[in-house]
Amino acid sequence: MDQALIRNFCIVAHIDHGKSTLADRFLELTHSVAERQMRDQYLDRMDLERERGITIKAQAVRLRYAPSPGAPDYELNLIDTPGHVDFTYEVSRSLAACEGAILLVDAAQGIEAQTLANFHLAREAGLAIIPALNKIDLPAADPDEVARELAALVGGEPADVLRVSAKSGDGVPALLDAVIDHVPAPSGDPAAPLRALVFDSTYDPYRGVIAYLRVVDGEIRGRDRILFLSNRFVSESEEVGAFAPEPEPVPSLSAGDVGYLVTGVKDVRHAKVGDTVTLARHGATSPLPGYRDPKPMVWSGLFPAEGGDYPLLRDALDKLKLSDASLVYEPESSLALGFGFRCGFLGLLHMDIVKERLEREFNLELIATAPNVEFLVRRGEETTTVHNPSEMPAPGTYDDVEEPFVIATVVTPSTYLGPVMDLCQSRRGSLQDLKYLSPERAEIHYLLPLAEIIFDFFDQLKSRTRGYASLDYEHWGYEPSDLVRVDVLLQGEPVDAFSSVVHREKSYAYGRVMTERLQKLIPRQLYEVAIQATIGSRVIARETVRAKRKDVLAKCYGGDITRKRKLLEKQKEGKKRMRRVGRVDVPQEAFIAALRVDQGAVGERK
Amino acid sequence: MTERAGLYVHVPFCLTRCGYCDFNTYAGLDHLAGRYVESLRAEARLTSPEWSGATFVSMFLGGGTPTTMPSKTIAGLIAHLRESFALEPTAEVTSEANPDTVDEPYLVGLLEAGVTRLSMGVQSFDPVVLDSLERIHSPQSARAAFTAARAAGPSDVNLDLIYGAHGESLDSWQRTLDEAIAMGPEHLSCYALTIEPATPLGRKVAAGLVPPPDPDLQAEMYDLTCSALGAAGYEHYEVSNWAKPGHRCVHNLGYWDGRPYLGLGAGAHSFRDARRWWNVRPPQEYLELVASGQLPTGGEEHLTDEERGLERLLLGLRTADGVPKEWLDPARADRFVADGLAVSRNGHVALTDRGMLLANELTLSL
Ligand SMILES: Nc1nc2c(ncn2[C@@H]2O[C@H](COP(=O)(O)OP(=O)(O)OP(=O)(O)O)[C@@H](O)[C@H]2O)c(=O)[nH]1
Ligand code: SF4
Ligand SMILES: [Mg+2]
Repeated sequence: MDQALIRNFCIVAHIDHGKSTLADRFLELTHSVAERQMRDQYLDRMDLERERGITIKAQAVRLRYAPSPGAPDYELNLIDTPGHVDFTYEVSRSLAACEGAILLVDAAQGIEAQTLANFHLAREAGLAIIPALNKIDLPAADPDEVARELAALVGGEPADVLRVSAKSGDGVPALLDAVIDHVPAPSGDPAAPLRALVFDSTYDPYRGVIAYLRVVDGEIRGRDRILFLSNRFVSESEEVGAFAPEPEPVPSLSAGDVGYLVTGVKDVRHAKVGDTVTLARHGATSPLPGYRDPKPMVWSGLFPAEGGDYPLLRDALDKLKLSDASLVYEPESSLALGFGFRCGFLGLLHMDIVKERLEREFNLELIATAPNVEFLVRRGEETTTVHNPSEMPAPGTYDDVEEPFVIATVVTPSTYLGPVMDLCQSRRGSLQDLKYLSPERAEIHYLLPLAEIIFDFFDQLKSRTRGYASLDYEHWGYEPSDLVRVDVLLQGEPVDAFSSVVHREKSYAYGRVMTERLQKLIPRQLYEVAIQATIGSRVIARETVRAKRKDVLAKCYGGDITRKRKLLEKQKEGKKRMRRVGRVDVPQEAFIAALRVDQGAVGERK
Repeated sequence: MTERAGLYVHVPFCLTRCGYCDFNTYAGLDHLAGRYVESLRAEARLTSPEWSGATFVSMFLGGGTPTTMPSKTIAGLIAHLRESFALEPTAEVTSEANPDTVDEPYLVGLLEAGVTRLSMGVQSFDPVVLDSLERIHSPQSARAAFTAARAAGPSDVNLDLIYGAHGESLDSWQRTLDEAIAMGPEHLSCYALTIEPATPLGRKVAAGLVPPPDPDLQAEMYDLTCSALGAAGYEHYEVSNWAKPGHRCVHNLGYWDGRPYLGLGAGAHSFRDARRWWNVRPPQEYLELVASGQLPTGGEEHLTDEERGLERLLLGLRTADGVPKEWLDPARADRFVADGLAVSRNGHVALTDRGMLLANELTLSL
């Protein structure tokens, strides 16, 4: 197609501001989905997305649209993006495939933290930005005020801010017309050697790696010998197509197009997101700008509940990595939990989703250790990166430890400024600046240790501001902190999975919470079990599980024998699934419960 | 050698249902009693050919409350069973009996019918505990029943007691024990109260209306039982059973020693040659099946060697005789002996009083 008739754009917004619902209206307006197949948030295809009501993965679709009767058909490539802070990386990849973005703002909520973050990303990527208000049908909507805020942010007049209701469809045609008018047509060279950016990918068990492409220059046909520029891997492509919105093969994709490519690659490592695809013969030589690898924010060990599932887990991670380039993992072995992987995630939601996808899509049962951030341990000139608290060297053997800090953006009604600042202060934060988006709404920036905000900070923020504040953060750098490793010992044996690196001031609270938790979770056994939390050789908290005295069933006659045997068989099975630490049996469930993320108590108590 | 077996007869009738009891028994079905005994006789006729090679060394009338039936009925039943099966002349014949259902003439009738052992559901001499267990009888009627048993003639008497019900203290249990010892029965069964989910009490506990028994307190009550009964000359020969020398219950020993048994009546279990089977539970269904000339079997299982092994271990370790040492992991067995949880003698390993209370865990680890 003539590039002049192509528009590539995405919708970006704060979480829940209605991106996917707006995409629904676009699908309808362009008759892309049969009426009876239509459903809300059509592009949220994953079960997990539908259950949670959020978009996790960006989705690209091709729409055909004639703005007025008799006008030529335009090809509109739309990417719906996720709003949650963990998935900012998906947004930046989507931006690289587009020339424009709709910046959507809930007219009742106003500008929120991810509105700001996504706006800055889109502007840095040089995209045309179309500001728009959504949910104008809501009684609580204050479109005039929010339009003023938004115009002040993107530059322009409040009158230029479009107003839609993705629910009713009001204003949606005008918004699509604005896309055609304001988003530049792509300007690659169709005659140049092929260069296409892999901005996403998935894995199909039958067809292998399917890459989502933005073709910048040249043309790619269904069957071509293709070359991945980063590793010079050559493959025979099997099909190209577009999502309309279901995958539809097309003869070719050319400059300006967005679509998919069945790469013919079976080994996931050969087709990386961010790579440039060209043709094996007469190909391009210089790659497109790729992506910076996303920076994992939190780390956690994933272990199969059944030790024998380790190879399955490895395969599953390899495959999941394909549709989730941000996932990183390295083999790890734990005395308590066996063989597994230490995985890096973009945040807790991401961690939760990866774990759930591994369990569902690959039929695994997993134990996740408590998440932690990464640490840099400095010893003279030498710096070691530690992703696993149990690998943290003993106190006194290093010069200092650094932990990651983030710049956090909090957008809040000005009335809650006090409580928000108190919270940040109590989390070792330092105020950077404070701006007013309007007299009623403030934007504050704090420098905070990442470890202080990934766990329960958001819940605290919400509860102190009646749900009105929003949070975004980005990596800033590393700073030395007074961190100590707290170990947990059962009968004197350290349980590596329970070790944690925490700020010294919070170490006692952590030790206390863990020992108390375990005291409740570890069943009584034949012998007394001492539970200790230690820093180095110093015991900071201690609990005991008293020895069990009675477990026998009082009666056992004729018919009871079968029942008792079955009970015992079940207990035997249960015992097999217990993890042995020295002399102590710890049920799998105790690990899972003890490692649960809700460490609220740790942060709050002092 | 001829097969030495036990015969169990189930009587599924009670005056009322006690809140903790999950036995296959019903209140208000007494009108079925006549037909039920007929069915037992018929079932005996159906099964006896299969068991013609076996000698029965014990018979046990349990339930339920067999003594809800007239003693004549019981006498007729026992006579019939003696005709159907080769019951040794000296066989132990036990009948369960509940206070409030028996008096001296009644018990004379039972002894004349051939009953040699009476097992009385006393449970406690503390009215608070009896109330908490929802037993209908009073301590007085239990005492009266015991006196009646002694007056009726020579027989072994067992008292069933339960400890650890809500509201029972260590002191109250001590008093119940003292009184029981003073009466001087040949045999005492002392059970820690177990909460069964499918009972009124189980539901109350689940709903938080009644606290579950405290296992540590029950353990102390058990310790007290072991020392008090030991001092009074009773031998502790199974987790919950004590007897004067020579008065152990032959029938129940059969279960723990893995001997075959035949169960007659609704829901009764049988065991022979690695096969265990059981009759249908509802009395009506049982009556109908037998009336139509069929065996009332409701289900069965064939034990694998491994299952059989586990059963022998779990049962054997409940008894004072224990199990042959070669069935066990020697290192673990030695460790438990060292820790005072087990003793090793004559090639057998048996659990100590303390060990018996942990028999579950020990069976799993041995
Ligand atoms: N009243 C009203 N509700 C809307 C409108 N648009 C979206 N919603 C509702 O807002 C909620 C979130 O909508 P989504 O479309 O899933 O929002 P999203 O921005 O895609 O969310 P994420 O992908 O998770 O960031 C849903 O309950 C929608 O029904 C609107 O115009 N009016
Ligand atoms: S009398 Fe015995 S069998 Fe009958 S309900 Fe009470 S406890 Fe159960
Ligand atoms: Mg969405």
